[in-house]
Amino acid sequence: MSQQFLPDNPLPQEAKVPEEIARFSPAVEAEIDGHLAKYPPERRRSAMLPLMFIVQRERGWLDKPGVAYIANRLGVRITDVWETATFYSMIYTKPAGKYHVQICKTLSCKIMGAGNITEHCAQRLGIKPGETSADGKFTLSEVECLGSCGTAPMLQVGFDFHENLTTEKVDEILDACARGDYKFAVKVR
Amino acid sequence: MADLIKVTINGNVYETEKGARLIDVCREHGHAVPSFCYYSDLALQASCRMCLVRIEKMPKLQTSCTITCTDGMIVTTESEEIEKAQRAMVEFLLANHPLDCPVCDRGGECELQEMVFDWGGLEERFSERKNYAPEKFLSPMVANDPQRCILCKRCTRVCDEWMGEDAIEAGGRGAHTVIGTYDGWLNCSECGNCIEVCPTGTLLDATYRHQARPWELAQTITTCTFCSDGCQLSLGARVGEVMRAVARDRYVDGINGEFLCIKGRFAHPFINHEERIRTPLIRYKQGGRLVPATWDDAIGYTAARMRAIGEAHGADAFGIIGSPRLTNEANYALLKFAREVIGTENFTASDAFSLAPCFENLSAPLATHRDIRFAKTIILVGGEPEELQPLTGKQIRQAVRNGGARLVIFNSVPIRLKEQAAQFIHINPGTEDAVVLALAGANDDELAAGKLGVEAKTLADVRRALDETQGDCVLLFGSELSAAAMATLAQLPQLLGAREGRRFLLHPLPFYNNSVGAHDIGLMNAKLSVAQLLDQAGQGLRALYIAGSLLPEHLRGREETLRQLDLIVVQELFETETTALADVVFPAASFAETDGTFTNNAGQVQRVRQSIPPVHQARPDWMITAALASALNADFGFQLSASAVFREIAEHIAAYEGLRYPLLKDESRPVQAKHALAGARDMTGAIQEIRARIQSMNVTSARPTETPKVGHELFKPGTLTSKTPQFPLLYAGNPKPPTVLVSPLYQITVDANLRATTVAAGD
Amino acid sequence: MFIGAIGCEPLQLRRVHLEHSRSLDVYRRNGGYEALKQVLDGMTPDAVINEVKKSALRGRGGAGFPTGMKWSFVPKDSPKARYVVCNADESEPGTFKDRYLMERDPHMLIEGMLIAAYALGARVNYIYTRGEYRYLINIMDEALDEARKANLLGEKILGTNFSCEIYTHTGAGAYICGEETALLSSLEGMRGHPRMKPPFPAVSGLYACPTVVNNVETLTAVPDIIKMGGEAYQKLGTEKSGGTKLWSVSGHVKRPGVYELPMGYDDMEKFIMEDCQGIAGGRQLKAVIPGGSSVYIMPASDILGKDVRMDYEGLVVAGSMVGSGGFMVMDGTVDVFETTKNLTEFYKHESCGWCTPCREGTDWLVKVFKRIADGEGRPEDAQLLLDICDNIEGKSFCPLGDAASWPIQSAIKKFPEDFKRHLLPLVAGAKEDAALSMV
Ligand SMILES: Cc1cc2nc3c(=O)[nH]c(=O)nc-3n(C[C@H](O)[C@H](O)[C@H](O)COP(=O)(O)O)c2cc1C
Ligand code: SF4
Ligand code: FES
Repeated sequence: MSQQFLPDNPLPQEAKVPEEIARFSPAVEAEIDGHLAKYPPERRRSAMLPLMFIVQRERGWLDKPGVAYIANRLGVRITDVWETATFYSMIYTKPAGKYHVQICKTLSCKIMGAGNITEHCAQRLGIKPGETSADGKFTLSEVECLGSCGTAPMLQVGFDFHENLTTEKVDEILDACARGDYKFAVKVR
Repeated sequence: MADLIKVTINGNVYETEKGARLIDVCREHGHAVPSFCYYSDLALQASCRMCLVRIEKMPKLQTSCTITCTDGMIVTTESEEIEKAQRAMVEFLLANHPLDCPVCDRGGECELQEMVFDWGGLEERFSERKNYAPEKFLSPMVANDPQRCILCKRCTRVCDEWMGEDAIEAGGRGAHTVIGTYDGWLNCSECGNCIEVCPTGTLLDATYRHQARPWELAQTITTCTFCSDGCQLSLGARVGEVMRAVARDRYVDGINGEFLCIKGRFAHPFINHEERIRTPLIRYKQGGRLVPATWDDAIGYTAARMRAIGEAHGADAFGIIGSPRLTNEANYALLKFAREVIGTENFTASDAFSLAPCFENLSAPLATHRDIRFAKTIILVGGEPEELQPLTGKQIRQAVRNGGARLVIFNSVPIRLKEQAAQFIHINPGTEDAVVLALAGANDDELAAGKLGVEAKTLADVRRALDETQGDCVLLFGSELSAAAMATLAQLPQLLGAREGRRFLLHPLPFYNNSVGAHDIGLMNAKLSVAQLLDQAGQGLRALYIAGSLLPEHLRGREETLRQLDLIVVQELFETETTALADVVFPAASFAETDGTFTNNAGQVQRVRQSIPPVHQARPDWMITAALASALNADFGFQLSASAVFREIAEHIAAYEGLRYPLLKDESRPVQAKHALAGARDMTGAIQEIRARIQSMNVTSARPTETPKVGHELFKPGTLTSKTPQFPLLYAGNPKPPTVLVSPLYQITVDANLRATTVAAGD
Repeated sequence: MFIGAIGCEPLQLRRVHLEHSRSLDVYRRNGGYEALKQVLDGMTPDAVINEVKKSALRGRGGAGFPTGMKWSFVPKDSPKARYVVCNADESEPGTFKDRYLMERDPHMLIEGMLIAAYALGARVNYIYTRGEYRYLINIMDEALDEARKANLLGEKILGTNFSCEIYTHTGAGAYICGEETALLSSLEGMRGHPRMKPPFPAVSGLYACPTVVNNVETLTAVPDIIKMGGEAYQKLGTEKSGGTKLWSVSGHVKRPGVYELPMGYDDMEKFIMEDCQGIAGGRQLKAVIPGGSSVYIMPASDILGKDVRMDYEGLVVAGSMVGSGGFMVMDGTVDVFETTKNLTEFYKHESCGWCTPCREGTDWLVKVFKRIADGEGRPEDAQLLLDICDNIEGKSFCPLGDAASWPIQSAIKKFPEDFKRHLLPLVAGAKEDAALSMV
């Protein structure tokens, strides 16, 4: 019995801590009700992605209490939430920065200079694509085509499109974020 | 008779049933078609793309697992094009798969390995870096090496479709897809079926990992010793030690296919456990210690004591108690001992409830597990098969999910199966009898509904469902029913009357692996329950001969009176509360060390085969009894052959007539005992009795509203299961440990506190 | 960026330049909801389907399946609910037409969906929009609210017996969810894996009910078909594919944009050189991917002086496909090896992982491309790439696998020199030199 799995430390008294479940304001609850009302009652699971975006908006990412909330609200298992969440690139299963800078890297943007934009952002933010800055403010990502091919190169901050980019334009955006007066134009609602 | 159509495969014309699946038809006729994801009776997946064939008039190669045969279809399964495609799929699967079979735990019994030999190419063109993921534990039972995964998703499908748990799932996307769980820790019933169906070394038995190679193991097909379902399993032993248990091959279509539950798969370590009783033990004086003795001494001593008691107090001073855990052979030997050596009818078996009322009134055949899978209506009264008879639970679920059966559950507890039920009828605790009353007719609906705490209309709905059933209708019941209710339920098929196209089948849910056998052998027919027998202690009863141990509910409160007896002889594997009272203890052989038969809850008589020689000085129960008989001058004539015992059983027990070991040897074709069917009985008395019982019932409407946690019964550490160190851990809530990585090695020490939670019996 | 029609009167793009073009008011003042009225005023569902059939409208989502025929597959007698689902997942690289249709003229989509729902007997309908287009979901929600208030949605629409709802639904970043069955999985709250066909969505789609999935541009064509009549609509295009088609033009042209052209617009060269004002910076045209990333790449030599007709048949003759109309133009500075690598990375990222060839194949392809890009190319790599593609193509569960192999197959065939350049230096043993010359 060499490599079995048994802990060598005693079990905690209360072996299973009751799962913490996220709580939201009545307004948010009403918003969620609104989404659930779109689908047949026995198909509540359909509201999975809309709910994930709301939980993300409220809590920054799909943390444990958030996941528990969704499972609870939709009457599905935690694993169901997990399997779905991890499939979609816009769902954060790890904390993301307040400003998620997403630069399109696909063909049209690429040939129109997306590489420069990425390099510029990386240099300014001191992080590589896929990383989050130490202060938790920025996450930099390279993403696939966002439908701005005719106005390439482009990036998204949150859900906001910024197109026909030049490094100057990028600087303006990042400056606003750094100063904290960047106003998100598009919100999940 | 289903419509027949003609299909041409590789130039041969075959007749097949309309609607048959092409891959099955090909294989049936010897045209090998490789596959990974196709798994009969699981949802189609069509993702491995191994089963490609060419069908005339269709563009592209087609996956034969998804094709339903149509008349005149012309199929090619072998051609250069197909071979190239299959080689390509194997090549793709190997691209990110480690090529280190010698260190992989599945090496030697890996389907991918076999596939490479049979269908793969020789050349390796993938020279890039493989994607890496660390090896880790998913639970105390399941280890996971994600790199080896080919994403056939059999594991997630069995978890969902068989177990209804959805505990393991595919997460991530594309080449980053992994099989896993939220937070990386698996909290489920730990059946390990995901391990069983995994074709590669991705999901591994964490309790067996790296302990043996498959070719070192002597595999013995036998019957599980835990619940009454009687799953077939294969014990793998190496030099006298049972190393693992796996289910039978899925192509061997036995009763359970590749299904096992946590106990069947993981609870075998008791067999070679260090606490097994090693030698016969004798307690020479009251209050003294049990002292090791030789077999000759122990048998001689016991025989002498028995002879003396018999001479002084007569035959009825003896009580003989068999066990629903023992083989039919062992119980038969005890019965024979009682009748022929002692000359008493003072015998019984220590079961929790007796099926006698059911069998005496049985008016429909017992449902096999296969019958349940294909039933159209399933009525479950009481019980919790998922925890107590897991195979039955799985069959019920599949009947609903894959077969569209209508499931009606009457239970005071919202058990998990409720998710599958068309009707879950939440009844007041203790009112199960009222269900039978209502099923038997409408006259008592008001009374029954009132006590059950449901609407009378609900009961009428259930009767209508019964009435409208086309096909099989299976009635399952748990231990909650009174004798009169059990009898009435067994007569229900008669009471409701025959109707074309409908067949009734009964399926009792006893607790033990051989509950039905113990009844069949006659130990439970004696109209004498364990409680009644034990209550005679001190009033004529002077000696007890017990094989196995008494159940806690029988023992508790009686210890003092039992201590007063002149002689208690016990045959056991471990020291228990019962052996604590014994004057003589014989070390018995476990199911893995003996030959014999068990009869499951479907009445199927299945072989138990010796996998290893008895440990220490243990002996099979029936041999001990025969030796004792011989010391008392009775020759049972069994020699050393269990099959001789069984031959005698077949001669004496009508339901087993004509059975022989050779007839039982093929576990893929289980043989059902021929339990006599009673015709229509007058049940007015029984119904009156139920009515009276219900009327006087003081019911509480305090029904549990929470679905009990997965494993609340399964994980309960009993005498046997607690010997698997992981059981107490699971029972304690299966907490996620600080690290789950396999390496650096995480070492074991069993927390002594956990052992304390062991309960005496009941696994 | 240009948005407008060339070679025909703007049809789909008729209102995009109006002020407040997305308001109900402007929409109504410019002919909006007239078709719906016409339909509710006495057209039978069959008559509607018939008009759509006559229009020879082919699905604009990429596959080009005749829309009227798709609609007629929905069983008439099914007791189940039916659904119309609008595919606004628009994720095909190079495609951005649906975005502008929804941004500027959301009511046109609502009207199209209402007519489709009427024709198919659907009570509840969904618009599945990719998550990144959040602002469009908000725009659609506002337009739907407006329509609801005007009794264009909900119970007893415009006083008739027709009741119908439309809801928006969000994707969350997965190209595969544009594939109709994957879209339905996603709409059911699951992972976006495609499903087995048959059964086709028309028989068993959303919640196992009969479902029609149509692209935004397909549905927005419907009001005009009703208004002008199927035949007149068909005449705008060719016999086999009627009407006008939106082309999303990007890359190295002077004037990228969304161009509405009649189906069968007669010359691709003219389109590039005149309508899109030619190649920026006066450089040479090198290649065009005319229908989104999932079609064959065309070298300039197959376009210039070749009179390539811009419709389904014409592009097949010219060696490519209409696809989603994502028209990507590349000039002489582009290295086709690099662009192919780029697209392959896209497909690897977007492969859903369900089936072996696509999941493992795209992963492997990217690894080979990376290795070559790192200067470790071997002469046999071109053949290896082709063989991997061949092993994916036609064997994957859904068309994404095919889509991943086509760009590579055509790129190696049409631009062998761009690949050779990356593969040959090693043969010559001149790795350093090669590296130097590339700086
Ligand atoms: C991988 C893949 C991606 C697709 N993406 C889209 C898409 O983004 N938008 C779309 O309308 N159709 C897309 N399609 C086509 C749809 O499957 C489907 O054909 C279309 O929605 C049908 O609508 P239509 O008949 O109106 O074209 C995609 C197909 C595949 C195979
Ligand atoms: S081809 Fe296979 S892996 Fe690729 S997207 Fe389709 S189903 Fe998923
Ligand atoms: S067995 Fe047919 S695709 Fe896997």
